[in-house]
Amino acid sequence: MRRPDWASATIEIDRPSTARMYDYFLGGSHNFAVDREAAQAMIAAVPETPLIAQANRAFLRRTVRFLAEAGVRQFLDIGSGIPTVGNVHEIAQAAAPESTVVYVDVDPLAVGHSREILDGNERAVAVQADIRDPDRIIDHPEVRKLIDFGQPVALMIVAVLHFVRDEDRPAEIVARLRSALAPGSYLVLSQACGEGRTSTEWAEAYAIYQRTDHPLHNRGRAEITRLFDGFTLVEPGVVWVPEWRPDSPHAVEEAERSIYIGGVGRLG
Amino acid sequence: MSHERGGQRPGLAVFARAWAKAVTGTSYLPVTPAQLEGFLEGLTVRLVEALYAEPFSLRRGYQIGADLVAAHIASAEGLGRTIEVIELRLLRDLGLSPTAPSADPGSGDDLRDRMARLLGSVAIGYARALRDRTLDEQESIRRAAMVAREQAEQALRESESRFRHQATHDPLTDLPNRALFTERLAAAFDRDGGSSRRLGVCFVDLDGFKMVNDTLGHHAGDLLLTSVAAKLRRGVGEHLVARLGGDEFVILVEDTTCTDDVLKVADAALAAINEPTVVDGQELRVSASIGIVERPVAGTTPSEVMRAADITLHWAKTSGKGRWALFDPERNERELTRYALSSAMPAALERGEFCLDYQPLVSLADGRLLGVEALVRWRHPQLGVLRPDKFIGLAEETGLIVRLGGWVLAEACRQARRWVDLSPKAPFVSVNLAVRQVRGQGLVKEVTGLLREHGLPPDRLQLEITESAMMNNADESVDSLRSLADLGVRIAIDDFGTGYSNLSYLRTLPVCELKVAGSFVEGLRAPAAEPASITDERILATLVSLAHTLKLTVTAENVETATQADRLRAIGCDAAQGWHFGAPMPPSHVDALL
Repeated sequence: MRRPDWASATIEIDRPSTARMYDYFLGGSHNFAVDREAAQAMIAAVPETPLIAQANRAFLRRTVRFLAEAGVRQFLDIGSGIPTVGNVHEIAQAAAPESTVVYVDVDPLAVGHSREILDGNERAVAVQADIRDPDRIIDHPEVRKLIDFGQPVALMIVAVLHFVRDEDRPAEIVARLRSALAPGSYLVLSQACGEGRTSTEWAEAYAIYQRTDHPLHNRGRAEITRLFDGFTLVEPGVVWVPEWRPDSPHAVEEAERSIYIGGVGRLG
Repeated sequence: MSHERGGQRPGLAVFARAWAKAVTGTSYLPVTPAQLEGFLEGLTVRLVEALYAEPFSLRRGYQIGADLVAAHIASAEGLGRTIEVIELRLLRDLGLSPTAPSADPGSGDDLRDRMARLLGSVAIGYARALRDRTLDEQESIRRAAMVAREQAEQALRESESRFRHQATHDPLTDLPNRALFTERLAAAFDRDGGSSRRLGVCFVDLDGFKMVNDTLGHHAGDLLLTSVAAKLRRGVGEHLVARLGGDEFVILVEDTTCTDDVLKVADAALAAINEPTVVDGQELRVSASIGIVERPVAGTTPSEVMRAADITLHWAKTSGKGRWALFDPERNERELTRYALSSAMPAALERGEFCLDYQPLVSLADGRLLGVEALVRWRHPQLGVLRPDKFIGLAEETGLIVRLGGWVLAEACRQARRWVDLSPKAPFVSVNLAVRQVRGQGLVKEVTGLLREHGLPPDRLQLEITESAMMNNADESVDSLRSLADLGVRIAIDDFGTGYSNLSYLRTLPVCELKVAGSFVEGLRAPAAEPASITDERILATLVSLAHTLKLTVTAENVETATQADRLRAIGCDAAQGWHFGAPMPPSHVDALL
């Protein structure tokens, strides 16, 4: 199913983009009317959606800081979307300036925007690739330029896999990516979980995302936990994202309503 | 002043925490709660300073608003809650209530007034910054969209052009392929420029390329093709060189003024190809043959041009390779006619379009009708009656001669039998056998079968064999002729004296008659005193004498005048055939002679 390089995805801004909707949920203005319309419909269905997105973003921030403190200096962020506020390279390079970051996204617009943000940063790059083609990501010359797979890498798959269908075998994708990692590497993963929300809410969410570039697929906690196969989960394991090493105790209130669950696993 | 040391006020942290709580969740804040509180504490100090500054300056408020947005507290809710929390709690938490006795200078009214103006300026600064930020982000995302779209279009264009290149070029040599050549040739026809426009095509084919492939391998063959392609491209300049496949190349020469223009290109191409090529360390020299067509665009089509070039290439190959040939419409016409006849012949034989005429063979001694020679005719539906010289050669090429000859033999036997029934003086029928018939298996069986079928006395059938049929005579041919002779069938040598006239077969073969070639007889038409005529007469006399010594009879062909007949008779020639004694005629006319 590998698409030849030259058969590039075309740019569609007539259709809501999950990357730009996510930016809207985070309070950004890197979005278009179609995106805002879909995002507002989502907010109507699940009013806490912006808070949920923010909680997931905060989870990302905490994990990057954790990994930077753990000594990881290479970050491969797949499904990075529009890296606006609080993106990985800011956090990682603030902690250790030599840290390298590769952003990977399938959305050419998101990649284009990332490149604009990263202009002048020699230790961060954005690459357009599809997570469903992990070999292409691993072998990509730009990835290889910044990431030495012989050294520990933080593989970030945050809020992405719920856009990958079961047929595309998400577990195999993660396993393939894992096989490229050296011991001491980490997997950071979060994704939408079916628990904690009513079927009506899910039905509405599915319908809204059906109109976007990436329809939604939630998964059960056990299945999400299995994605960490081969990794040793660090404390507190696979949890609702606000519960993962929170900055303050208030943050975990109503955590079970936060849709995303995730965790961090260590390899070797 | 106490407010200048606001950081030490006990209420400061309380207020900052309340502020942080108020704005949390209004938009994503990329900091920890503690960092947020620290940041807001700093802003709180600046708020208090602004409140008491002399003179009061709106700029401080603007800046605080802008700094909030810069710290990503950047939403309508963020502003609303900020104003709410400041208005509600700032003075109280920091013990600055205008009603408090320890209030700093300025009346309560003044402080309330300042607070209102401060909040206003914070809101203004905040809104301006938020608006700028929104506009910046919008601009940024639109630019990204534009860039991404341009890149996608560029990639699409590149992929299209790559795809188009792949579709129109030969992967081995990167020369244009047949598709592109066809396109360009068609375009040359469609282009404006008047009916006087001309063009030329050189159809190039390497000589002996297959041998290179077979002896040095396909890899070497591919290298050679690549090298030839490069030389051709260099050698012929701006003209389109395409590879049609295998070792076939074609050069399109547009806007020629005359044939010479194309001939120059062809010469250049041959010279380029002739340059030695080093393949796998071996120096290879290859030559090529070229078929050239050059003509006005008007009145022809691309496919006609290509067909003509293909035919002409074949001419160049058959005339010795390593050269070009130029298309010749007359030659082509002739070949086409031949081809048409050749391909129509089998069906014509099936449909019974062939028939036999018979030419008398007359005794020179007494004018008796001795025999008749069967001569095949093709009653062609469009071309009329065709004589054997128009089609026997073709039949020999295609091999149809065996079937046609078989038919002639059978028909002649059938007719011979009719004459036997008709008259005791029935002539023998002389039938020409083609080389292949003589050499083929089963001639004896075929003849004996016919003799039996028609109850034909064997001596009423004569088989004429050319000298060439006897050349390299295989034992089988000799055996079969001997078997036939033993049956009593007459065997004659046709056109004697024009071939090698090898006398040895006269010794070994059961021949009973020599037919002397018409060319000797021709000499007898001239006045008897002419030296050439005398020579021919002496040759004929010697032949007759030789034949008679061997107990063979001699028939002279092409006898057209009484003089010729008289002189032949004088020499002692036995029989004659020719217009003087009767043209070939339908069998019914022969009936009348009996």
